[in-house]
Amino acid sequence: MNQPTSLLDGWIQENNKLVNRSKGREDHVPTRDQHTGPCSADFHKLLLKIQGIPPLADHMQLELTVTYNTCVCFTAQSHFSEAELLLKQATERVLHMTVDDHDASNPLVLWRKVLESAGSVPLKEYVLFLLCLQWAIWLATCQLKTIQEFKDELFSLVETFSSAIGGDRRSEAGSSDSPLLLLDPRWLSEHLRICTAIAQGAERLSEGWSSEALSDLQTASSLSAPRTLLAYTHLLSGSCLAQMSRPQMALQCYRKALETDSQCVSALYQSTLIYRQMGNTQAEIQALRLLHSTLMFPHTTEPTLPGTHLLSPAFLLCSQSLSSLLSVPSALSVLHSLALKCVLHGRLSEGVEYYLDLLAALHSENQHAVHVEVPPLPRLPKLYLEAGAALLMARLPADCMALCDEVSSSTVELLPEMVVLEEQEDRCEAETGACAEDEDRVQILLWATAAYLLQGHCYTHMRDWKQAITHYTRCINLLVMVRFKKTGFPPQIPNADMVTKKGTHLCTLQRLKGLSLAGRGISFTQTSQLREALRDLQLSLQALPECVGAGLWCGEVLWRLGRRLEAAACWEKTWSRTTQSSEESLSIYLHEPQTGPLLDSSELRRRIQELGHPSPAQE
Amino acid sequence: MEELLPEDVYRLSHCGKITSFNCQRLPGVNGGEKSELIFSCVSFDRQEKRYVKAAEGAAVLGGRNATNVNVVKCKCVINVQKRVAEPCVLVWKKKNKGESFHYSLLTLSSTNKLEPCIEFKLPYQMEENVSILHGPTVMWIHTGQVFYTSPQAGEVRRIPIQLSHCVFGELPLLNERLFILGQNISGKSSSHHPTRQTLGYLVESGHVFDGSMILPFPYICITLCILVLSAEKEENTLKSAVVAATSNKQLVYLENGMVRETCQLPFEQAENIQVVNTGRNGCLFVVTFSQGHVCTIWRETFQVASHWSGVSSVHVDDFVGCGTDQMLLVFGDQGISGQPLENFLLTDLCGIAYADCPENRAPRTPLPPETHLLTLQALESRLQSGLTVLQEFQREERVKERVLQQSLQALAAAVSERESVVISPEQEGLVALWDCDDESKDEGSDDKKHDMPAVSSKPQVDKLWHCIAEDRMVVGVILTTDISVPVADVSLSILTATGQSSTLSVIQTQSQVFWLPAPYFSSSSPILSSSASNFPEPAAKRSRQHSASRPSDLNTCRLAVTAATALTPLLNSGCVNCRVVLHYIQRRDAFALVSNQTQAVLDCGDIALDIHSEPPTQLLKNPELKTDEVLEDFLSLRTVLDHWVFCVDSPEHSLGDIDGWIQRREGCKRIEVHPQYLLINSAGTSAPMLLHWRQITPFQGELSVHSRQLPMLQFLDSLLAHLPMSSSIQPIKGTTGQEAAQIFSLALEKEAVALRECVSSLLCEEEGGEEEEEKKRSFGEEKGPDLCSAGGLLKVREMWQQDVERSRMKLSPLVDVGRYRKLTQNMFKVQLEADLAALLDTQGTLLS
Repeated sequence: MNQPTSLLDGWIQENNKLVNRSKGREDHVPTRDQHTGPCSADFHKLLLKIQGIPPLADHMQLELTVTYNTCVCFTAQSHFSEAELLLKQATERVLHMTVDDHDASNPLVLWRKVLESAGSVPLKEYVLFLLCLQWAIWLATCQLKTIQEFKDELFSLVETFSSAIGGDRRSEAGSSDSPLLLLDPRWLSEHLRICTAIAQGAERLSEGWSSEALSDLQTASSLSAPRTLLAYTHLLSGSCLAQMSRPQMALQCYRKALETDSQCVSALYQSTLIYRQMGNTQAEIQALRLLHSTLMFPHTTEPTLPGTHLLSPAFLLCSQSLSSLLSVPSALSVLHSLALKCVLHGRLSEGVEYYLDLLAALHSENQHAVHVEVPPLPRLPKLYLEAGAALLMARLPADCMALCDEVSSSTVELLPEMVVLEEQEDRCEAETGACAEDEDRVQILLWATAAYLLQGHCYTHMRDWKQAITHYTRCINLLVMVRFKKTGFPPQIPNADMVTKKGTHLCTLQRLKGLSLAGRGISFTQTSQLREALRDLQLSLQALPECVGAGLWCGEVLWRLGRRLEAAACWEKTWSRTTQSSEESLSIYLHEPQTGPLLDSSELRRRIQELGHPSPAQE
Repeated sequence: MEELLPEDVYRLSHCGKITSFNCQRLPGVNGGEKSELIFSCVSFDRQEKRYVKAAEGAAVLGGRNATNVNVVKCKCVINVQKRVAEPCVLVWKKKNKGESFHYSLLTLSSTNKLEPCIEFKLPYQMEENVSILHGPTVMWIHTGQVFYTSPQAGEVRRIPIQLSHCVFGELPLLNERLFILGQNISGKSSSHHPTRQTLGYLVESGHVFDGSMILPFPYICITLCILVLSAEKEENTLKSAVVAATSNKQLVYLENGMVRETCQLPFEQAENIQVVNTGRNGCLFVVTFSQGHVCTIWRETFQVASHWSGVSSVHVDDFVGCGTDQMLLVFGDQGISGQPLENFLLTDLCGIAYADCPENRAPRTPLPPETHLLTLQALESRLQSGLTVLQEFQREERVKERVLQQSLQALAAAVSERESVVISPEQEGLVALWDCDDESKDEGSDDKKHDMPAVSSKPQVDKLWHCIAEDRMVVGVILTTDISVPVADVSLSILTATGQSSTLSVIQTQSQVFWLPAPYFSSSSPILSSSASNFPEPAAKRSRQHSASRPSDLNTCRLAVTAATALTPLLNSGCVNCRVVLHYIQRRDAFALVSNQTQAVLDCGDIALDIHSEPPTQLLKNPELKTDEVLEDFLSLRTVLDHWVFCVDSPEHSLGDIDGWIQRREGCKRIEVHPQYLLINSAGTSAPMLLHWRQITPFQGELSVHSRQLPMLQFLDSLLAHLPMSSSIQPIKGTTGQEAAQIFSLALEKEAVALRECVSSLLCEEEGGEEEEEKKRSFGEEKGPDLCSAGGLLKVREMWQQDVERSRMKLSPLVDVGRYRKLTQNMFKVQLEADLAALLDTQGTLLS
C-alpha cells in the first residue's frame, strides 16, 4: 500500500480497505451476523477518528460515508439505538457546518432541517444515504407512522437515487480516490420502498382498511424488486380482496404471487382457505396437496448478490401483522387436513395413504423434537383413531384393528375409575388449568371407548359377531363410568335430552353410546338374540335418536318378532329424520359405520307396502 | 512533575522522590516582609508504605523589599550544561510598585541547594501556556506571540514567525529538541480561508519544517496538549509517534501525521499527558485534566484503563524502586497531621498498589460502566448470531432428514415393487390448477377466427407520400386492409422510367411494414386508464378487455409500408418521376397452406422526386402534434434509422418502471401519433432515437431501438447501469439480421464457386497444360485417320485406349497430397463461413 499523502486520503484508504475486506469476506462466509461484528467495530473506530476533528467541508463526504457504513453494520446487528445516535451526530455535524444554529430535538425536524440546508451543498447525496438508513431503522423497528409522516421526503429520495445519472449499480472496482459504500444505497432505497409498501399494506389490512391497502399494494407490485417481495405484494393484494369478499379476484392475485415466486407457500395456503370458504372441495384438496409437497421440499436459499446480504428484506419486514399473514401451518398439519378432506369427500384410498404418511412422519419426527404449532395438530390417539376409521371405510379392517389396539393398549393403564363430566359451557377459561387433568382423563376415556367401538365395527365387518359383541360391550362398560354433572345437581347418568352442543364431550359420549349399542344390537340380531338386540337398539335410539342403523335394525328386529306395525312405524320414523349432514363436523371415527350388515331400504319399503296393502283390504 | 492545584504547594518527582515547593512570607527584619521558598523531599518507604521525609531546605528570595514571591511552575528537566535532570522551579516576584515582573528559574542541585539558573524581567505577567522545557528553557505565549529564554539564549527571545494555535513540545532523543507547532498565519492568506497547513519551528536552530508530519492540520486547532513518544530523522523527513489530547474529548495517537488510534476521554480540558512504563504490562498514558480529573489509557488497546477525580497532582516515577514506573496520585485534601504526604495512591494498575486514602479512592474497576454495557451487548449479539446459526442448522437438518426419508421411502417402494411418486417442486403442475380458464379463452378466440367469412378484398391505398431523409429517399404508403383477408409479404417497389424511354426499371429498396393503430380508435389508453380505477381487475379480465380494443378485432386494419432507397442513383439517372407498386400475398384464410397463396400487385401511384423538399422535421420539433405529417415523419424516421431489438431479462429482480425511466431521460418525449414510441432527441446526441419498450412479464421486456449505433450503445450503457445487477440484455434482432439472408446467400454462392474452381484447378493442373496441348496437337494432326488401313486402325485403337485411360484418370485422378490438403483446407474454410452465415440467418428468422 502506498503511503497516503494526507489525513483525508489515509482515511479514505482505510474506509475502502474495510469495505473491500467485508465484501471479500462475504464471498467466503455466507452466514450473516458472524462477520459484521468486527467490521462494525472497525468502522466505528474510523468514524471516531474522523469525528475527532471539527467538521470540515472537504472531509464531510468521507465522514458521512463512514457514518453510513458504520450504521449499516450496526443496523444489520440490530443495534438500532447506536445507529440512530450516530445518524443524529452526523446530521448535527452537517448542520453545524452549514447553518450554525440548530436546536432540533425531534429527529424528523432535524432531518427536514438537514435536507433543507444540504440542498444547496454537494453533500445532499450523502445526507440522503443516511436518511435511507434512518428509514431502514424505522422500518426494522416498525415505526410505520413515522415513515408515513415522512413519506414525501422518502419518496423524493427514491426518485433521486433511481434517476441519478451517477447511480450506477456496477461497482467501480479499485477506485481509491473516492470513499466506497458498504451497501448500494439505491438498492437499499428500492428495497425499503417495496418493504415499506408491504409492511404498511399488512398493517392496514390488519386494521381493516383493505381498499386503501390494495391501491398501495398494486402500485408497489410494479416496482423493481426481487421475486419474493413482488410475490408478497400480490399475496397481500389477494388478502385485501379476500377481506373485501371478492374471492375469485383474490385467487387471481394468489396465483400471480405463485407465478412470481414459486416458493410463496403463503399464497397457496391462502388459496386453500378461499377454496374452503367457497366450498370448492376438489380445488381445496388439490391446493392442499401442492402446499404439502412444496412444504416438504423447502427451497434452497437463493444465492445472494454481493453486497446485499446486509439488511435483507426478511430483516426489514418484521411486523407482527405481516408475519401472521405470511404464516403457514406445518407440513404435517397440512397433511392432516389433506387426509381428512380426502376421507370426508369420498377419496378413501388417497385419504388412507395420507393418513399413513402422516403417522409415519409423526413417528420419525417424534424422536427429534416436539414442534409448537399453530394451529396444533390433533393428539396422536385421535389421529390413530381417524386413520383407523379411514382404513375401515376403505375396507381394511385388519389395519384398522392394529391401530385401535395401539390406542387401547396405550390408554388402558391410564383409564380412570370414574369420570364426572361437568357442564362445559359453565367453565370459564381461568379454570381450565386446574381442570387440565380431568380434561385429560375424559379424553383418554373417550379415546379408549372409540377404539373399542372401531374394533367392534371391524369385527362386524368381518362378520365375527361374538368378538364384535365383546368389543361393543367393553365400549359400553367404559361409557357407563361417566357421570354427568350439572352445576348444582348431583352427578347423573347422561341421557339424550341433555345433549345440547356439538363438539362437547357430552355429545361425543352420547354418540359413542348410541353407536356402540347400535352395533351390539345389530350383532345380537345376527346371532338371533333378538330380545337383547331389541333392548340395545332401543337404548341406542334413546342415546342417539338420529342413528339410522339402529332405527332400521330396530324395525327389523321388531319385524322378526312379528311386531310388524311397530316395525313399519320405526322405519318410517328413521327415514323421516335422516340428516346425514350433521356428521360433517364430527371426528370421522364417530360417523356411523357404512361397512356393517345393511338393510335394503327398498326391500323394507316393499315390506311396508305389502303390510299396508293387505291391511286396508282387511279392514 | 505537575501541579494541579496551584494553591500553595508545588510538587515534582525526581529520582523516585517527591519534591514540593512552597512559598512563605516571613516577617522581615526592617518591618518589611521577605519571602522564602521552602522545599522538602520525601521518598517512599516500602516497609511502612508511606512517604518519609528525605530532605528539606529553604532559600530566601528577593532582597530587601521584595513582595509577592510566587511559584509559577516546577518541573524536572535536563540541564544541558550539567547533562543531568534537575528539578527546576520558576518563581516571579514584583518589586514594590514597579512595572516589571522579575522571573527566575531556580534549580535544585544534588546537594539540595536552590541555585538560580535564569533570571529575566518582563513588563507583563505570564499567563497562558508557560512551560519549562529541556535546557532548561522557559517558553510562554503572550499576545499571540511565543517567547522563550534559556541559559544558552541568555535573553528573552521572540519566535520570528506568526503562528496561531500554538503547541510546544519536545522531540526526544534528537539534538534539536524543542519545537513549536502552529497554524501558519501568513500574510497572503485571508482570514476566511486560513491555509490548511501546520508549521513547525525548531527553537534551537530556528528551522521551519512541515508540522503536519507531527500533527496534521485539523488537529492543530483543537489540540490541548501533546506528547511526542518518539521521533527520528530519516532522509530529511521526520518520523514521529505522538499522542495528543483534543478539545473534542479525544486522545489521539498519531504516527507520522496519520491518526492510528483514538480514544474517547471521560473529561474535558486535558492539560497534560505523561507516559507510565509499567514494564512487561505495557505502557499507560496518564492524562490530567483541569478540575483535578485524571484518566489513564492503555497504550496497547487504547482503551480507558481507569480514572479518578479530586486529584491534586499526578507524578510518574519509579517510587517503589522496582525498575518500572508507577504513578502517584496525590489527592487534594491533604491532612495537617504533619505527615509529609498523605492521601495518595501509588499504583501501576498491574500489581503494584499502595494507597493511603479512603477506600473509594482505590483504583476502580478498570472497566467503566459503559464497557459493561458494551460487553453485554457483544455477548448478546454473539448469542443471537449463535441462535441463528443453530436455527439454520436445524432447518438444514430437517431438510436433509426429509430427503433421507423420501429416499428411504422410494427405496422401500422399489424393493416392495410399489410405485412411489416423488414430486419435485418444479413438477408441481401449478398451471394445471388454474390455467384451464385461459385455454378456453384461447379456444374462443380461435373459434372467432374460424367464423370469419373469407371474403377477398384488395387493400386500399389511403395515402402515398415520400420524403428525403439523410441520403435516402423514403416512400411510404398507408393501406387499409380487411382483417379477414390477411396480407403477407407486403413490400413496395419503386419503378423508374429511365430517361425518355418508356421502359420501367426497378430500383433496389428495403421495405418495412408497420401496423398502425386503428383510425377510429385513437388509442387504447382511455380503456386502460378506466380500468385502473378503484380496484384493479385481475389480469385475465383486463387482458380480455384490452384485446377487445385492439384493431385486430375490427374488420379493418391500417398498415404502413415504407421503402427506402439510396438517393444518389436516382439523381444520377436524372429520374424525377417514380411509380410506386405494392406487392403482397393474399391468403384465402388464416390457415391456408402456402400453396394457396396468391401474389398480388397494386399500383399505388406516382411520385415526383424533389431534391429541395424539406427533410422530415415536424416530428423532431413537435412530437406532441397529432397530424398526418408527423405520422409520416415518424414512419420515415423509423425506416431510415437502424433498428435493433433487445430482450431485457432479469430473472431474480423485477425490472420496475423502465418506460418511466426512459421518459425521465433528457429530451425524451412521447410520440402522440403513435404513443407506444418514445423519441429521444436531446441536444447532445447527434441522431434522434425512437424507442419502444414492451414489458412481457415483470421480469422481462423487449426494447426496440431505432437509432444510429453510437447513441444506441450509449443508451444501452446507461440502461444497464439502471437495471438490477442480475439482469442481462440480449440482442434479438439488429439491422444485421436483415442482411443475414444476403450474407448467407453470398456465402453459399462463394462456396459453390470455390468448390467448382478448386476441383477443376486440381484436376487441370494435374494433367498439366503442356500434355494437354500436345495431345490436342497430336489429335489435330491425326485428324481423319484412315480407318481402313491397319495402321490407321491401330492408331484409332491407341487413341481410344488413351481416351479410356484418360477418362479413367479423370475418374480417379492422382493428385499431389500437399496440394490436395491445401485445397480441402480452403474448401473447409469457405464451407465454415457458409455455415456461419446459415446459422446467423436461421437465428434471425427464428427470433424475428
